[in-house]
Amino acid sequence: MGPTAAARALAPPVYRVEGLTKTYGTGANAVQALRGVDLVAQAGAMIVLLGPSGSGKSTLLNILGGLDHATAGHAWFHDRDVTAFDDDALTEYRRRSVGFVFQFYNLVASLTARENIALITEISDHPMDPAAALALVGLETRLDHFPAQLSGGEQQRVAIARAIAKRPEVLLCDEPTGALDSHTGTRVLAALDQVNRELGTTVFVITHNAVIADVADEVLLFGDGRITGRRHNARRAAPLALTW
Amino acid sequence: MVTPGRSTLTVKLFRDLWRLRGQAVAIALVIAAGVGTMVMAVGLIGSLEATRNAYYDRYRFADVFAPLVRAPETLMAQVRLIPGVATAESRITTRATLDVPQVAEPVTARVHSLPLARAESLNQMVLRAGRLPDPRHPEEVVANAAFVKAAGIVIGDRVRAVLYGKQVELRLVGSVLSPEYVYVLTAGQIFPDDRRSAILWMGREPLAAALDLNQAFNDVLVRLAPGARPGEVERQLDLLLAPYGGVGAYSREQQISDRFVRDEVDQLSTMAKLLPPIFLLVAAFLLNIVLARLVDTEREVIGLLKAFGFPVRGILLHYVQLAVLLSLGGLVLGIALGAWLGRGMAGIYQRFFTFPFLEFRIDTNAYLLAVAATLIPVVLGAATAVWRSARLSPADAMRPEAPADYSSRAAGWLAGALGPDEPSRIIMRGLLRRPLRSALTVLGLAAATMLYVASASPTASIRRMIDLGFDLADRSDLTVTFAEPRDARALHELERIPGVLHVQPFRAVGARLHARHHEVRETLAGVAPGAGLWRLIDIEGRPASTAPAGAVLAGRTAHQLGVGVGDSITAAVTEGARPTLQLQVAAVLDSPFGSAASLDRTGLNRLLREGDTLSGAYLQVDAAALPRLYARLTDSPMVAGISSRRAMLRTMNETIEQNFAIQTVFYVGLAMLVVIGVVYNSARISLSERARDLASLRVLGFRRSEVAFILLGEQALLVLLALPPGIWAGIELWRFLIGQFSTELFTIPFEIDPRVLARGVLIVAAAAAGTAFLIRRRVDQLDLVRALKTRE
Repeated sequence: MGPTAAARALAPPVYRVEGLTKTYGTGANAVQALRGVDLVAQAGAMIVLLGPSGSGKSTLLNILGGLDHATAGHAWFHDRDVTAFDDDALTEYRRRSVGFVFQFYNLVASLTARENIALITEISDHPMDPAAALALVGLETRLDHFPAQLSGGEQQRVAIARAIAKRPEVLLCDEPTGALDSHTGTRVLAALDQVNRELGTTVFVITHNAVIADVADEVLLFGDGRITGRRHNARRAAPLALTW
Repeated sequence: MVTPGRSTLTVKLFRDLWRLRGQAVAIALVIAAGVGTMVMAVGLIGSLEATRNAYYDRYRFADVFAPLVRAPETLMAQVRLIPGVATAESRITTRATLDVPQVAEPVTARVHSLPLARAESLNQMVLRAGRLPDPRHPEEVVANAAFVKAAGIVIGDRVRAVLYGKQVELRLVGSVLSPEYVYVLTAGQIFPDDRRSAILWMGREPLAAALDLNQAFNDVLVRLAPGARPGEVERQLDLLLAPYGGVGAYSREQQISDRFVRDEVDQLSTMAKLLPPIFLLVAAFLLNIVLARLVDTEREVIGLLKAFGFPVRGILLHYVQLAVLLSLGGLVLGIALGAWLGRGMAGIYQRFFTFPFLEFRIDTNAYLLAVAATLIPVVLGAATAVWRSARLSPADAMRPEAPADYSSRAAGWLAGALGPDEPSRIIMRGLLRRPLRSALTVLGLAAATMLYVASASPTASIRRMIDLGFDLADRSDLTVTFAEPRDARALHELERIPGVLHVQPFRAVGARLHARHHEVRETLAGVAPGAGLWRLIDIEGRPASTAPAGAVLAGRTAHQLGVGVGDSITAAVTEGARPTLQLQVAAVLDSPFGSAASLDRTGLNRLLREGDTLSGAYLQVDAAALPRLYARLTDSPMVAGISSRRAMLRTMNETIEQNFAIQTVFYVGLAMLVVIGVVYNSARISLSERARDLASLRVLGFRRSEVAFILLGEQALLVLLALPPGIWAGIELWRFLIGQFSTELFTIPFEIDPRVLARGVLIVAAAAAGTAFLIRRRVDQLDLVRALKTRE
């Protein structure tokens, strides 16, 4: 364990998860997406959730991000139990504390890159300047382009800039490189890496691509609704050096 | 041929239909409004015409009428010899005033001798209650059923009457309907006043005795032979009757009751031509946008079907079938609605038009018209929506559509300029990206606003018309009409009656006005100069005065004759010495109603080569003396008619309140249906297109209300954009309709009540807000995770 990793281990946890369970449907149609997950995530860590599709990683992230309700168990964000939030509290929580990045970018097509970010900074307390957020992901020259004028990788970096511009404590990324080729995907990972290092944002990345796990401090292996293994990387790989 | 895909496509068809049920209902409501108004109007036109024709035919309503002063019965033989005359009958007609205990004011009656009890006699009556008078009992009369009901008299009641100056006591033995009086309107009124105007029929002998017309007559009824030209028969009649004081024969088209029935049919035709197309075009547009959106989301399915070898035709047919199914509900609902409304309207018509029966019937043509008028725009709307996608190559169709490009049009000049924040920009750019759809949505909403404004405006205009006629022009308490013109002594006699404060005489004489080849039968009015109890006013309510020389012509008469100021017209007077006068048009006055041509009274006396003669007078009276005054006037042998301005006003206001209120509710409903249909579909489609954006915003921490703002703000903006043109179009439509609805008798003043406009805004806004509330629930229920997981 290197010195920075040791420092992080001492950092207070952002999330503490105990016995988290999620069941979709009832009776014979019931599907158990999460079967009791326990987890402690340290502030400032880069965490990769690795596993095949249907293993429960998105469900965990959706509950942590306040998009979905747990069937049982608890998930504390600092000292507040997210699973006990009502809809309004969840909205406020997403608004102030969490940033999301999705596989399909989800940019508003009728707004430029800068405006997509302004959309969020307008409702935040201490946001970054939209231009600065775009500069952080290397898109300072694409400020006034509409999504249709950007490549997939560029669109995903705008999505990252949008997610971090409000300075969230955590950034939740569900398959952020899933729709991208290796070259573009590494640039997106580099942007996430930079956000984690420079802003100290805790970053969760979901992937089924094992190569990507090398950029993490901690790798959680998922299978059948459970965490089946954990791994600490002594050294985080440089994203731009990866290929798949 | 077995096509394996067909049945599966049918399954898809019905699943799509079920999925689109909300929008289908909204579209059905708009179609129902269109089909409903059409079925109602077309059905009513058919029913009114069929009823009228059957009524006229069965009760042998005359084709030509020829009033005169007096002719011996032997002259009828010559009348019957006129070529084109199939049947001719003489009768006696006069006016009377009645003292009906149940009615405070005197009742003015028109009295006819009973038609002969023969199968071929003309203007036969329908006995509604009681029996016909017995020739052996001269006091027995029957009256029109509307008067009997409105005045509250019962069969057996005795009524005092002054008949041609003679006091008689009459006894009501029955109530009847007559094809001659489907619509009973006395001079100077715009609505029937059944309480104060009556039609009586009594035995010919007692009537002849009272009028000194034994073995004589003063009215001729003619039924024409098939193919006969009424104009020619009228000319022959005039020639024959002129020596006997004929005042000019006229045909059924000029008969006042028939003219009103025809005017009503014309107004219904205007409505049938105007309203349904608005609704059906809006419905076609709604179907177009709903299907266009469906096809967008099914691009890949279409590509797949084509890849499997489905022909374009089959795919087009599939969506056209869907459109037809989507509109069928509206069609059926519309026909039911039309039948229901038609029956209701027929009930209202029965209050004005006294037909012995008025069965609302929808004939096959109305159904066919409704089906064609619905399906043609629906199929066109559907086909244009599907055509673009159906023609794509399978490979193109299966490739997902590129993200919407907002750069070209929007970015350059709109970035930053529009909307203070990003949500407003999303709204603005969304609207501008689909300018045609936005424009059509605005048009649909504007049409609803227009519909309300135009259909709620008649009340204001008619109230204004009443104000003009019964407040600004006529300021008298009573109008007294003489049985025959009288000299100045009659004026003094009126002045001397206790309770009479002021008297203003008038002269009125029937004439045929000619200019070039145009002719109208109208009244020449001799008006006392100065602003007395009655004065000339224009349509704006400004007082006007008669010219010392020449006639002031009503605008509608000038139009009919094709003349203007300075032109000369000929007036062939049809009474007294029957002089033919050359009159110069001194002014053309757009007055709401009243005489066609007005002259200075002394000038008219001079032209008629008579002394100081009057036909009646306007009175200002002491209200406390009214009951005694009524008795005195009713008993006066010279008085043939008495009308109270206040009583007329009361009746007119009641009529407006009873009937226009129902119509306004009806049009409010129609306007709301359109707004609901347009807003619901527009918002649902917008929601379907923006679901991902809105879900993204929710994920990013936007509150429900903030997300709803984007979706509903768009609709609110569209409503806001639609209101000014909608109001403008409503005002202009009303201006246009006034031209259509103004008849030879009235000119409807153009009047817009600001409250109607405000109410229009409120109604449209309320319907839109109610619809938005429904949609808002869907925004709240957005499935965040699913919306984000799926590729656009």
